[in-house]
Amino acid sequence: MTKHFYINLQKELKNHIFDYLLLFTAGIFFLILLNIFRGQRTIEFFVLVSFAFFYIIWGVYHHIVNETLHLKTVVEYILIAFIIIFLLKIIILP
Amino acid sequence: MEKIKTFIHHLFIPHEENNFRAKSLHTDFLTVYVVIAFLMMMVFKQGNIHDVLGFATDISVEKLYQLTNEQRQKNNLTTLSLNPSLTLAAKRKAENMFQENYWSHYSPDGKTPWDFILGAGYKYEYAGENLAKNFLFSNGVVDAWMNSSTHRDNLLKKEYTEVGYAIVNGVLNGEQTTLVVQEFGKPMVAGEATKNIPVVPNKPMIEKNTEQIVVQKAVAPKVNFLNFSFNLNLIFMSFLILALVLDFYFASKFNVIRIGGKNTAHLLFIVFVLIGLFMSTIGTII
Repeated sequence: MTKHFYINLQKELKNHIFDYLLLFTAGIFFLILLNIFRGQRTIEFFVLVSFAFFYIIWGVYHHIVNETLHLKTVVEYILIAFIIIFLLKIIILP
Repeated sequence: MEKIKTFIHHLFIPHEENNFRAKSLHTDFLTVYVVIAFLMMMVFKQGNIHDVLGFATDISVEKLYQLTNEQRQKNNLTTLSLNPSLTLAAKRKAENMFQENYWSHYSPDGKTPWDFILGAGYKYEYAGENLAKNFLFSNGVVDAWMNSSTHRDNLLKKEYTEVGYAIVNGVLNGEQTTLVVQEFGKPMVAGEATKNIPVVPNKPMIEKNTEQIVVQKAVAPKVNFLNFSFNLNLIFMSFLILALVLDFYFASKFNVIRIGGKNTAHLLFIVFVLIGLFMSTIGTII
């Protein structure tokens, strides 16, 4: 099971190294900001929303660069971002 | 049984019938997840499940007391008994922090922890105080105290025999805050001198803002509510991760080329958010 997974994961990351590094860097910044503003719930939630919006923009950018942009794809990124925002709002900022 | 197998296959494995994309990741299914997540959010908010001010904490005196005594037992120390006067002192200290808007062992007008303890009618030989704010779970509070040498020394001080707790919600410096106050003591025996044991000696961190409207209310945590919503979050995200991993694996295996979002990006995003979720359970101590 793992063979296919790792080979294709490696291939995907290698082919789009800049894009994934960008997303990874944003993720690291997200965690650093959460750590800085730990306990300040409003700011924590704002940081989460910012990361989610960055992720949507990243998705659109990535698919434009790869010429695979489609409305369905954009909707998918938006939906996943909002699932996460709504779920975490319950915990962070009820 | 066969029907269930087919349904799971359809839900997680990309094949011709689901347009080579796991059904659980189709836009219509994702929309259903969004609606469920939104409804959950609204129900928890409207249902007033947390408490009047809507704080999300699952900290209880019982759990803090149990965990503190467990730590003392592990270190071959006597367990502490709950003292109503120390509990009253802790409650008054927490309320005072909200009223005077500070986060410190010492109030802006110079009140010390010992003033609150003595004010509650507890004459002590030894006394100490640990503070925590914005933790989500009781074990997070005790773990943080145990990981700080000064708080650990306080929690494991062999002289203490009694303890009191207060968990109070309020608005501190404009932020909704859950304060945890732990007051330790050993009642004075006639003829003994009083000994104060400050947690962070003479290093007050006072943030005073008299313009803030102070609202505070003692917490009566709903049993395991936060645990429930926290676990629900974990289940939801684990389901998404499972669907993404399986879809990615089988799409790779069958060399499927399709239009859609990148599973690797979705996974990376969810993993970062999960790490962030665990980070947000940790508050601060002094």
